[in-house]
Amino acid sequence: MDWNAFLDGFGVVTEPNNLLYCLIGVLIGMLIGVLPGLGPTATMAILLPIAYNASDPVSAIIMLAGIYYGAQYGGTITSVLLRIPGEASSVVTVFDGFALAKQGKAGTALGIAAIGSFVGATVSIIGLTFLGPIVAGYALDFGPPEYATLALLGVFMVASIGNGNTVKALIAAAVGLLLATVGSDSFTSANRYTFDTLQLQGGIDFVVVAMGLFGVGEILYNLEERHGKVHVPAAIANIWPSRKDLKEASPAIGRGSVIGFFLGVLPGGGAVMASLAAYATEKRVAKDKSRFGRGAIEGVAGPESANNAAATSSFIPLLTIGIPANASMAMLFTALLVVGVTPGPSLIDDNPELFWGVINSMYIGNLILLILSIPLVGVFVKILRVRPAILAPITALITILGVYTINNSVFDIFVMITFGIIGYLMKKTGFEPGPLVLAFVLGSLMESNFRRSMLIFDGDPTGFLTRPISGTILAFLLMVLLYPLVKLLFRRRTPATTPDTENHDQEAGLR
Amino acid sequence: MRKSTTCLAAVAGVATLALAACGGVQNTAGGGSDSGDYPSGAVDMPVGASAGGSSDLISRQISRGLTDELGGTFPVINREGANGALAAAEVAKAKADGSTISVQNASLFTITPLAVSEDEATSIDDFDVVQGVSRDDYVLVASKGSGFTSIDDFAKADGKITYGTTGVGTGAQLACALTYNVNETPAEAIPFDGGAPALTALLGDQVDTACLQVGEAIENIKAGKIVPLSVFGPERVGFLPDVPTAKEQGLDVEVTQYRFMTVPKGTPQDVQDAIAEAMQATFETSTYQDFNETNNLTPLEIPGDEVKAMLEEDKQRYADLVEEYGIDLGNAG
Repeated sequence: MDWNAFLDGFGVVTEPNNLLYCLIGVLIGMLIGVLPGLGPTATMAILLPIAYNASDPVSAIIMLAGIYYGAQYGGTITSVLLRIPGEASSVVTVFDGFALAKQGKAGTALGIAAIGSFVGATVSIIGLTFLGPIVAGYALDFGPPEYATLALLGVFMVASIGNGNTVKALIAAAVGLLLATVGSDSFTSANRYTFDTLQLQGGIDFVVVAMGLFGVGEILYNLEERHGKVHVPAAIANIWPSRKDLKEASPAIGRGSVIGFFLGVLPGGGAVMASLAAYATEKRVAKDKSRFGRGAIEGVAGPESANNAAATSSFIPLLTIGIPANASMAMLFTALLVVGVTPGPSLIDDNPELFWGVINSMYIGNLILLILSIPLVGVFVKILRVRPAILAPITALITILGVYTINNSVFDIFVMITFGIIGYLMKKTGFEPGPLVLAFVLGSLMESNFRRSMLIFDGDPTGFLTRPISGTILAFLLMVLLYPLVKLLFRRRTPATTPDTENHDQEAGLR
Repeated sequence: MRKSTTCLAAVAGVATLALAACGGVQNTAGGGSDSGDYPSGAVDMPVGASAGGSSDLISRQISRGLTDELGGTFPVINREGANGALAAAEVAKAKADGSTISVQNASLFTITPLAVSEDEATSIDDFDVVQGVSRDDYVLVASKGSGFTSIDDFAKADGKITYGTTGVGTGAQLACALTYNVNETPAEAIPFDGGAPALTALLGDQVDTACLQVGEAIENIKAGKIVPLSVFGPERVGFLPDVPTAKEQGLDVEVTQYRFMTVPKGTPQDVQDAIAEAMQATFETSTYQDFNETNNLTPLEIPGDEVKAMLEEDKQRYADLVEEYGIDLGNAG
């Protein structure tokens, strides 16, 4: 690593106009993150002309990058307060975040999420600074077989999410997998479940499904619940997490940050896997697993740290090998092209000022975001005091506009409303939408990579076992699946020799 | 006080969204057949790709040029889906008065029909072609680990060679499929969702070779991380002067992607002329020429009728080749 270039990078960032661009970027990012539907990618596209006209290309890139990671902070707010996850990586935050909000602890959830996001992002930037090129190399070892097994692991993790009923979670996940097959098959271009409409050929957009199942479903459910009742504003017990909350959440933040950093480097699906893995990890290490889904602070801290760490480490493939890891990174790739820089392996040598300027701006941008978040948490939490008669139509309007902006398509609005009705019925019958949505995201990842792998292996499935990374993932998956069975066997054999108290411990451990 | 802040924030939020959404609905009273004052309102430019891809970038660059030359606004609207067929269907259905125009890809008309069923194929007869724009070449690249340095090395390979493509029905797939078939090399196509994932797999040695657009591959070629074997244009590509064409290497494979301006069939000639003239003026500007340079695009600024002839010829040629070698693009896996 070149220390001089690194320090010069800080010189670039601390120029007043770059600081201003950084501030504007993260502010816009945070605001659009709050609005579901209008994501960072669309915003970056709208603001791309700034890159054409900016006097200094570095400022423009700093600003656009700020929009991206700023949006990660904003996205949490709607997940926690309104139960609307704006993107796949904040779906898991909904379970415990929304539960906490219902208990009047929205401030705690948002506060911990902001701190977790800051720590996660910062850990990830430090990782990016020192390990960037090395980690990028490791990401390349992930081919189709590795993604397929990772997605399979993810689908099983989905079952552990939510509050308890594994069978219902698995059923919902199965439906999600089926929904993922809708659209033109990307291997044969055969149409699957498109009913001869062009609109369904590209498949169903995640945001459409998520906003329907969560957002619209929740609105419909609330209308029924609160009909005729006098509205009692949700109690807001505290605005800021207590010392005890912080103490409980900090190990989760640490684990989430590390998980997020490593999984985020993987292009395509890295951030979703990171938040899922962080949640599953927290649930596994927790002493009392029954708290999850009912307002466990670790269930917010882990995934939120992980998805911000993942968002930050997704810069690594772009800056070190010139591969955009997601749609927002593709926009940043475009912006770099616009200012006359082609991202690739030589970026760090050819444009050290830009490379380190952008990376170091993230240290400062995240600090700004943390400072901004503190007063904003207090403001946003007040949303819960708005009467449902006013809040519900506004939420409905925002979701409808948000869905429309994704593809400028009215068709998508109807699809969302359909999912809203399904979401309402699911809630009435005790199904969680989370496993469905996550399985939906992982399904296409798993299917296409499995088929790619089989083509590469020439039809021989043992290839999954002989490749080191995919083999390890499969072994891990097998362990996780067999663990409860082994424990069960162990428990049956032991009563004669062990006292009863130990039995209870093991039983608790099973859950 | 706090409460009013919340309300304000909510209102501002709705307003932002509404503004963003407005971009998509301004197709009132655009165009008009009176040519002297074209455009009389906002002109929609649907593009069948997501923001950030070459098609999107080119559309935006042209939109800027048209605004400078003709006045008015030309909002680019991303209508991703079905390989560009969704956007095409929208343009074909639009009023033929110049209020909807679109830069489209050749592959949608020449190659996609080979991979999808007949009623899904988009026909160029639904459009008038106004003006050619630029060419985007494909390059066959090999991973470092494969050890290939030229097409001749394929003969030394044991077993099937794998090649990554940017999707089914794309020019990249056709170029690669033809190369291996013409060269009689046993090979397996691995389709990816676009150029970036295919490039990633190539860099990670997951596939032996891949066909990519030059712009996608060029930085890693320059850095020596992947090895270019062949380009598929009629002549060498200016950005990769040392890479021979397939023809030079004795393989009769010529596949290129090019883009052109289309309007709905029956749009008044004077409107078409106004657009073509404004585009030609845009091509002269140094901003536009720099844009082509950074995006590795070769100008193909020929008149609309020549583009149309080229499309028809390419379509026939690809169909013949595919039939001759028994290639099924829609059955890669």
